[in-house]
Amino acid sequence: MSLLEVNNLSIDYITGEGTLRAVDDVSFSLEQGESLGLVGESGCGKTTLAKSMMRLLPDNGFIKAGEIIFKGDDIVKKDKEGIRKLRLRDIAMISQSAMNSLNPVHTVGDQLVEGIRAHSNATKAEARKRAEEVFEIIGLEAKRLNSYPHQMSGGMKQRAIIAMALSLNPSLIIADEPTTALDVVVQDKILKKITEIQEHIKSSMIFITHDISVVSELCESIIVMYAGRVMEKAKTEVFFKTPFHPYSLGLKNAFPSILDIGEELISIPGAPPNLMEEQVGCRFKARCPYRTERCQKDEPQLKQVEEGHFMACHYPERIGEFTEKASKRETWEAVRERLIDEGGDGI
Amino acid sequence: MMNKEALVQVKNLKKYYQINRGIRQLFSEEKIYVKAIDDISFTINKGEILGLAGESGSGKTTTGEILVRLQDVTDGEVIFDGHDFMYETREEEKEFRKEIQMVFQDPYETLNPRFTIFETIAEPLKIYGMKDKDEIYRRVLEVLQIAELRPAEQYIFRYPHELSGGQRQRVAIARGIVLEPKFLVADEPVSMLDVSIRADILNLLKDLRDKMGLTMLYVSHDLSTIRYLCDRIAIMYLGKIVEIGDVDKVISNPQHPYTQVLLSSVPVADPDYRRESIEIDDELPDQINLPEGCRFEPRCPYATEECKKCDHTLIEREEGQWSGCIYSAEDLPSGK
Ligand SMILES: Nc1ncnc2c1ncn2[C@@H]1O[C@H](COP(=O)(O)OP(=O)(O)OP(=O)(O)O)[C@@H](O)[C@H]1O
Ligand SMILES: [Mg+2]
Repeated sequence: MSLLEVNNLSIDYITGEGTLRAVDDVSFSLEQGESLGLVGESGCGKTTLAKSMMRLLPDNGFIKAGEIIFKGDDIVKKDKEGIRKLRLRDIAMISQSAMNSLNPVHTVGDQLVEGIRAHSNATKAEARKRAEEVFEIIGLEAKRLNSYPHQMSGGMKQRAIIAMALSLNPSLIIADEPTTALDVVVQDKILKKITEIQEHIKSSMIFITHDISVVSELCESIIVMYAGRVMEKAKTEVFFKTPFHPYSLGLKNAFPSILDIGEELISIPGAPPNLMEEQVGCRFKARCPYRTERCQKDEPQLKQVEEGHFMACHYPERIGEFTEKASKRETWEAVRERLIDEGGDGI
Repeated sequence: MMNKEALVQVKNLKKYYQINRGIRQLFSEEKIYVKAIDDISFTINKGEILGLAGESGSGKTTTGEILVRLQDVTDGEVIFDGHDFMYETREEEKEFRKEIQMVFQDPYETLNPRFTIFETIAEPLKIYGMKDKDEIYRRVLEVLQIAELRPAEQYIFRYPHELSGGQRQRVAIARGIVLEPKFLVADEPVSMLDVSIRADILNLLKDLRDKMGLTMLYVSHDLSTIRYLCDRIAIMYLGKIVEIGDVDKVISNPQHPYTQVLLSSVPVADPDYRRESIEIDDELPDQINLPEGCRFEPRCPYATEECKKCDHTLIEREEGQWSGCIYSAEDLPSGK
């Protein structure tokens, strides 16, 4: 049995201007110990998806359909008490802004000890001991437990947050851009620590980021989201060699690498659709160089194309042709011209 | 480079900020400074793009801001097009301000939300005395085309909130080039943008250099975009330039240990590539009590006693590649 199984999940936000479908019919599963990278451009629903798994959606966010089966139980159906137990105990979340959530008037150690005790039946002394252990694992000296947040650098604070999240050996770690605000040297070390611990306690991980190279190094599998839907899912090794979906092909062109010399970067013209409006057909159609009549009308479903490699596009048999054309600048320039002709923005 | 004539020469530039350290200051006459920039020198040739890299707090943004005169200097010289611009009259200053423009990280913060795109771009033209309405209109349309906001007429009466992030950054660039400056400072111009559209802005900056001969300082913590865009790169560490040179040379054969560490920490999107990061302490030292000698010495895996005598003099280790380490990359000692 998979640790986590998300089935046909849809999530809406109710806003002053109308209803926005942030996550639409998303399904995937996660095995014990697996680490999954979740990528896609800003606003595609990554954080919404992550929050729903801890039932942390804001007040105007609602799970409209689907189930989130975690260890056999549906998280969507859990009551308050069930959710309380789930958080931290079973599922831990590390977010980018978390380091600002430390309480400035208490030492980091007190906050950590309190957190451990609130979610377990440890005594104060046991909790303190556990706190020292996790600090050491994450690469902080135990004496740092006596520090107040303002006495720590950004990197140290983020480490402390990670220590808190991992202190109770959660079965699932959700990391939402955990290092985005940090410098590259610190990021590299912290990411190594997170994976080390994740492997050590054999938990599964969902790792959300804009930086696909981090996913390439850290995760076994990858999900590419676009406008609330899953466009592609694959083993990372396979994905980085042979992405299938036209959107993924575009992303690959656009991504600069420290190793590359002289290869021209190409953007994907246009912008994601407005999710306030009802979506007809494929969500990528406005920016896709290969769209047809069918794409205008029918929404493609996520289907397996090769063993373990899924894609939501009507044309799996044309992947070879798509791949070849996608590396050419003209292919994407034509999309820009088309966008302009249609009276939209070509950017 | 066809043209090796210097446009910007920075000589022994220093920028110190005096800070208050609460009670200690009551008992001491001693002033405490943060040395944000501590004696750096470099040249940017005409038509060249220099990338300035480093971690936060290294002084890269301050350097850019000084070059566009958003900040004063503590000491040193900046010579722009043969002209020492730190000590000039108001009139001269106005003339030279026009030649130097800046594009910031967050276009949302720098564009006036109550100005249309037209007003935003026309403003500098008006400040510099262009009066003819048709001429202004033509020029605004022209730079919008250059910034690839097409068809320009469609954008001209929009407000910033009606544009996407990438479009806003194009407007900021259009405004930056409307006076036909010789020099542009771009500070993290793509870091807020989605990867799918970043390439457009990088390619636009490249085009401005190729087609208009615009010289640029590109400030970024992102070494991959620097490699893509820049001709040369300077790496800063705690107010010092530790390495400067041809971008491909520095990235493929870094000389300074800090450059090596930085590069080894950049993730790579290639499953076949085995990256080995160099392990160092990731905490920056106190910016006030800087270490004696080499500033990187306390964290450097190769440091020796000799490093306490290092004064960051840049030494040419490969042709056109200068490092502030007393050792060359080939004979780095095995360390402590
Ligand atoms: N509280 C909210 N109320 C209304 N709409 C929201 C709310 N939170 C998010 N949204 C919208 O839901 C969509 C998905 O947002 P989400 O934050 O999940 O995206 P994301 O993929 O995490 O983006 P980013 O990469 O920028 O973090 C977006 O269109 C966003 O504007
Ligand atoms: Mg998010």
